[in-house]
Amino acid sequence: MGPHHPSTHGVFRMDVKLDGETVVDLKPVFGYLHRNHEKIAENISYLASMPFTDRLDYFNSMTNNWAYAIAAEKLVEIEVPERAEYLRVIMAELTRLVNHISLVGFFVNDLGALGTPLLYAFREREKILDLFEQASGARMMCNYLRFGGLRCDVPEGWLKRARDLVDRFPKFLDEYEQLLCENEIILSRTQGVGTLSRDLAISAGVTGPMLRASGVNYDIRKVDQYGIYNRFKFRVPYSENNVGDCYDRFMIRMLEMRESIEILKQALDGIEEGPVMGNAGKVFKPKPAEAYGRIESPKGELGFYLVADGTPKPYRFRVRPPSFINLTVLRDMCIGQQVADAVIILGSIDIVLGEVDR
Amino acid sequence: MNLLGAGILKGMAVTLKNFIGSYFDKERLNTLEYMWQNDKSLPKRAGDYPKEEGEQLRPTTTVTNYSRNFPMLLHDDGEPMDTIRCVACQICERECPPQCIYIEKSDDKKERPGGKPQFYPATFDIDVSVCMSCQICVEVCPFDAIVMNSQFELSTPDRFNGLLLKRGDLLKSNQYYHKIHPEEAADRDKRIADDKAAKEAKKKAAEAAKEAKKKAAEAKAKSEAEANSKEESKDPSEPPQTSTEHNKEENTE
Amino acid sequence: MNWELIKDILLATVPLLVIFPTMFALTTWVERKALARIQNRIGPNKVGVPMSRYGGKLSLFGLGQPAADGIKMLFKENIVPTGADRLFHLLAPILSLIPAMLVLCFLPLNFPWLTDEQNSVKAFMLDGAVIFFFAITGLNTLAVFMAGWASRNKYSLLGGMRAIAQMVSYEIPLVLSAVVVVMTVGSLNAGEIAKSQDGWNWFVFSPWGLAAFIIFFIASLAETNRSPFDLPEAESEIIAGYFTEYSGFKFALFFLGEYIAMFAISGLAVTLFLGAGDGPGAEAYPSLKVIWFLAKICVLIGIMIWLRGTLPRLRVDQLMSFAWKFLMPLSILNIFITGFAWHAENNNEEYGFTIKAIIWTASLLILYLTAKGLDKVNRANIKPRTYQYGE
Repeated sequence: MGPHHPSTHGVFRMDVKLDGETVVDLKPVFGYLHRNHEKIAENISYLASMPFTDRLDYFNSMTNNWAYAIAAEKLVEIEVPERAEYLRVIMAELTRLVNHISLVGFFVNDLGALGTPLLYAFREREKILDLFEQASGARMMCNYLRFGGLRCDVPEGWLKRARDLVDRFPKFLDEYEQLLCENEIILSRTQGVGTLSRDLAISAGVTGPMLRASGVNYDIRKVDQYGIYNRFKFRVPYSENNVGDCYDRFMIRMLEMRESIEILKQALDGIEEGPVMGNAGKVFKPKPAEAYGRIESPKGELGFYLVADGTPKPYRFRVRPPSFINLTVLRDMCIGQQVADAVIILGSIDIVLGEVDR
Repeated sequence: MNLLGAGILKGMAVTLKNFIGSYFDKERLNTLEYMWQNDKSLPKRAGDYPKEEGEQLRPTTTVTNYSRNFPMLLHDDGEPMDTIRCVACQICERECPPQCIYIEKSDDKKERPGGKPQFYPATFDIDVSVCMSCQICVEVCPFDAIVMNSQFELSTPDRFNGLLLKRGDLLKSNQYYHKIHPEEAADRDKRIADDKAAKEAKKKAAEAAKEAKKKAAEAKAKSEAEANSKEESKDPSEPPQTSTEHNKEENTE
Repeated sequence: MNWELIKDILLATVPLLVIFPTMFALTTWVERKALARIQNRIGPNKVGVPMSRYGGKLSLFGLGQPAADGIKMLFKENIVPTGADRLFHLLAPILSLIPAMLVLCFLPLNFPWLTDEQNSVKAFMLDGAVIFFFAITGLNTLAVFMAGWASRNKYSLLGGMRAIAQMVSYEIPLVLSAVVVVMTVGSLNAGEIAKSQDGWNWFVFSPWGLAAFIIFFIASLAETNRSPFDLPEAESEIIAGYFTEYSGFKFALFFLGEYIAMFAISGLAVTLFLGAGDGPGAEAYPSLKVIWFLAKICVLIGIMIWLRGTLPRLRVDQLMSFAWKFLMPLSILNIFITGFAWHAENNNEEYGFTIKAIIWTASLLILYLTAKGLDKVNRANIKPRTYQYGE
């Protein structure tokens, strides 16, 4: 299957050996979208890598920015002002909504639903992207965060618009759940398909909603409490039955969106006026050091590892992409399933090839 | 015990609601139609796409006051080349992540209104097929000379030259900037004015203090400025901040 | 030469060949519009009659779209993959269209301009019309497999195999649910069946008729490869299934054949269960019957479109087990229930309403509980789950 196949989410090739319609062996082939991201980053200044991180996982540019900013802020220990921290949380949670909503849409599209749930998801996504555009000037490639803060403050009235959106979102989620969550066809298509055991998930380094769907209560927002996540009250949904099939992965994301809305409400209540940029100078030239910054991106643990050598360019720049590492268990999940299942298992992993291939 | 097929029926109710809702509810169907064909003033053929000012600001297009697309060069009121703000310091060229800017510095200096003679860009090209609209050039520019345009009607039959924007294409007036990004432009103008006022005040204070040994100070300042400009042209890899300060001083003097 | 007969044949069949392809064109437009609205889009709304070179045209809500599609299809290149069997690659789309067109003759459409004698050249007056209908629709399977095999493409072959398995297994519930009607009427003649339902005596208004109609409708969705049973052409899995390698006019023929088959099978559903041409005013003005018949077909097509906009598709094994383990037992049970009910009603006419009420409730209950039980057995562990939260 692939690389030009309607449901491989980009240019991804699955070398599938079939017995009738049952998958006997599967070999993922990727690299078609390799852009040399890490090497380019080692040859340009720290700041100039920021727009390139947008293009890693093009659904979640805000969280990519944040992970990179955290790594760079660790290098030089810059203070981030209060308002900027709040805005970062707001942006990250909005990004999580965007990612999960469109993932669920794509996933059901892979099940064969002719795009209806996907287009509902995109309708809501457009509204969030409008907010991003008002804040940063671009809808997807936001490039909004800077070391020590944000590029600019949000325009007037933005917080009110965000508030409106957050208030209206649960209504949409109700409708979406009504459409999908009890549908007999979806239930029988996803339950018991592509199971990932708790042990395998942990030993393969799987993170994010996929790990939680396998029954592990692990969320970097809780573990690291980066940013100001320790101020918010939220819960982390995880599966209790230790099955970890496609249905769990789908439902965990639906539940996580509800929690994101809770965080957004608290953050929008708590935000105060103030500067959005810290005392970082215009030139970013860290002393020789190394730093690893990680966040809970919507897809899992996104980490940036930086080694500085005292010049304005990083000596080593390494990305830990969640979709790539979550993809490593694809073969174990697919063997013994049907062709149609292989497609939805891939869909439920939630990969973005821009991040897998870099 | 729930009804057989209840999930499917529920789903069908949702789609029916959306089907009917799309005729009445703006929340459900929020598509804007792009009616360029019925608009006489818009281009008819590929290649005729507008490059005039304000052309993209039609109510039917989706460009908002906040969107950014490709960079443009600002000039103040008056002849574009006489009032261009860019002094060809080449910081943006150096900082541009995909390296899409090409600048050639002029050999001579040009008189600026309210300032000293400055260099100007003899060539200023942006290859918009490479540009990724990241706005880093805008952030690093110390003169507020380059800002983001929101024009998106750039399609052209010529793949290479058509997408290479020259200095003439890039030059836009400050009023145009105010038109497309009112809030941002107002902020920027205010900041420039504030900076200028602060500099002026500082200068005045300095002048008052230096009144006694006026002559010596003046001579010293002059030689310093000259040294700086020399230094700048010699050493292009100098960190941006220093050159910024030097240039600003030059400007206000 | 018998010119009279030829005239009769033309009079009887040409209207069919005009009405149904036109309906096909309109249906493609309606389907695109309706799906778009279901998905909160606008749908085709630009293509119309151009009035001048630049702008200024009669767009008519995009009604020009089918014509534009047709023209595009006609002018596209005919691509045959190397190594494909050229002859069968060519024959497959033709073979898929012919049975679909043929079975239109079995629909009891009494055009007002035809006498009974002229109508008799059409096949619905045949005494075995319903059997013939199923026999000829079965040919479609052959065409699909021919396309899948001749394309020399793995996706096509998978699609063809799926199509065969699906169509063969769904023929059975389809036929078994039709048996209910045939038993009650006591005739296989489509004209007779239609006549017996006049005066709001539709079969769908009885419990067994309703059950049979639902089974028939589900099976007909599978027969015509409509969502949620569109596995032979499952886009997210096997690209376009058996017509992956078809382009241009051959593709258009497949498309046409598929839609005509949809009309035909909805027409049969209307004939068997929905009272054929019966409707308000049909008795006073017999010419209204044709209109009602076509309108009912359109309603069924509308429901198909609606389902397509809502549901994801099943998996192959689930599809098969749904046919064999759910629909088939249910339809066999339905036949027994019909038999009992028919006898109970006809032999106890003195009790009238009471016996009718008892039979109806009992059969509804039995059918529903069986369906529920079969569902429980088939999908034992499948139900919504609950999740826990970590702090």
